[in-house]
Amino acid sequence: MAMPGQLMFARRLGPTARLLIWLLIGVACVVIDARYRALDGLRSGFSLLLQPVRQVMRAPSDVATELGGFFTRHRLLQKERDALLAERAGLLVKVNTSRDLARENTELRMLLQLQARPGQRVVHAAQLYQGHDWFAQRITLDQGAGAGLRSGLPVVDAAGLVGQINRVYPASSEVTLVSSPEQLTPVYVERTGQRGLAAGSGRGQMELRYMPAQTDIRAGDRLLTSGIDRIYPAGIPVARVSRVSRSQSSPYLRVECLPLAGVDRARAVLVLIAEPQVRAR
Amino acid sequence: MNVAAENPGSWRRILGTLALAVLLEQLPWTGWALVLRPDFVLVAVLFWVLHQPARIGFATAFFLGLLADFQDGAAFGQHAIAYAIGVYLVLFLRLRLLQFDPLRQAAQLFPVLLAVQLAVLLVGWLAVNPPAGLSILMTVPASTVLWYLVALIVRLWHGKGLQDRA
Repeated sequence: MAMPGQLMFARRLGPTARLLIWLLIGVACVVIDARYRALDGLRSGFSLLLQPVRQVMRAPSDVATELGGFFTRHRLLQKERDALLAERAGLLVKVNTSRDLARENTELRMLLQLQARPGQRVVHAAQLYQGHDWFAQRITLDQGAGAGLRSGLPVVDAAGLVGQINRVYPASSEVTLVSSPEQLTPVYVERTGQRGLAAGSGRGQMELRYMPAQTDIRAGDRLLTSGIDRIYPAGIPVARVSRVSRSQSSPYLRVECLPLAGVDRARAVLVLIAEPQVRAR
Repeated sequence: MNVAAENPGSWRRILGTLALAVLLEQLPWTGWALVLRPDFVLVAVLFWVLHQPARIGFATAFFLGLLADFQDGAAFGQHAIAYAIGVYLVLFLRLRLLQFDPLRQAAQLFPVLLAVQLAVLLVGWLAVNPPAGLSILMTVPASTVLWYLVALIVRLWHGKGLQDRA
């Protein structure tokens, strides 16, 4: 006989029951996060927790790179220096020209009483971590809300557009790459001025969508941001057309492009922050 | 089962290995290394579920799954669900797995690890959008090899190993 107040069959739940409970919790998490994006607080918490760890774990490879760089041959450095000096001279000339042009541009704008383009600030950021997600290609940067970043800002490197900030944590942020599936970028073809929509197609490639079959476009054309979305400034190089093909079944051309920026290899990137627009009356 | 001796499966050792796995996952992996990286955390969790099921179970696996989700910028719950499924499979096969030598054990673990990755893929597919590639599955052989190495080292270290307390 069982004593009063004593359970006769005291035992833990079986594994199947426990699995079902955790599966329910898991599905709830997925729904809350994917549909309502309500778990960003938890993400920030994890980010704060892991940020120092990531910095520390990055140190060994950084030291190795430093050491490797130290032993670069002297001759190579000299050659590089000469090349850089020549390039600098060329650039100086260009800087002068562009300064001149900028001044002229301001004057002309004032003349036309146009609204000046909002001033831009850049934030330097380094790639901290590459996400291992197969649904969207993302990288993590070492700058976050503390540096004034917010989601939606464009990220560029020296060669072109890298992507767009997707999530911001206190001291880091996630970037969705331009080549990530379903990431759309409004662009125009540099040679003809034809506007279009470039979409990432995964695996480091992009495609230009909805180009009518008679469009003048060929391999080698550069695509620049058109700026009509008011997110990306106009004129940032995005991609180069690698192949144009025409299909019998579709009224559109199939235009494949390769991103210009080192989308999966850039270490140092810039985030462009457009200052809030000042309305000059 | 509750007579677990303090030495081989002590809390300190369990937490130490789990922390080490998380740290390894935090290294800046890129390129092929990223694709071929074994899932350290999953292997560590399943190892302790196999050897210390009273201490490490669904809750730990679920939490570390959430951490893995954060890590990959995936939807929260994707890895958590998959890890819970992995724990269930290991608990289900536990007595069987404990009988084998490291190589056979790793071979038996292969379908379990594969099931976990397929669960990640499936949940992501349903919750977010179609996957961009199946490179996700490349971690399965790597994780299996890692399991083999771990099991081998444990066996060499402890003689017949932790398995005696099955």
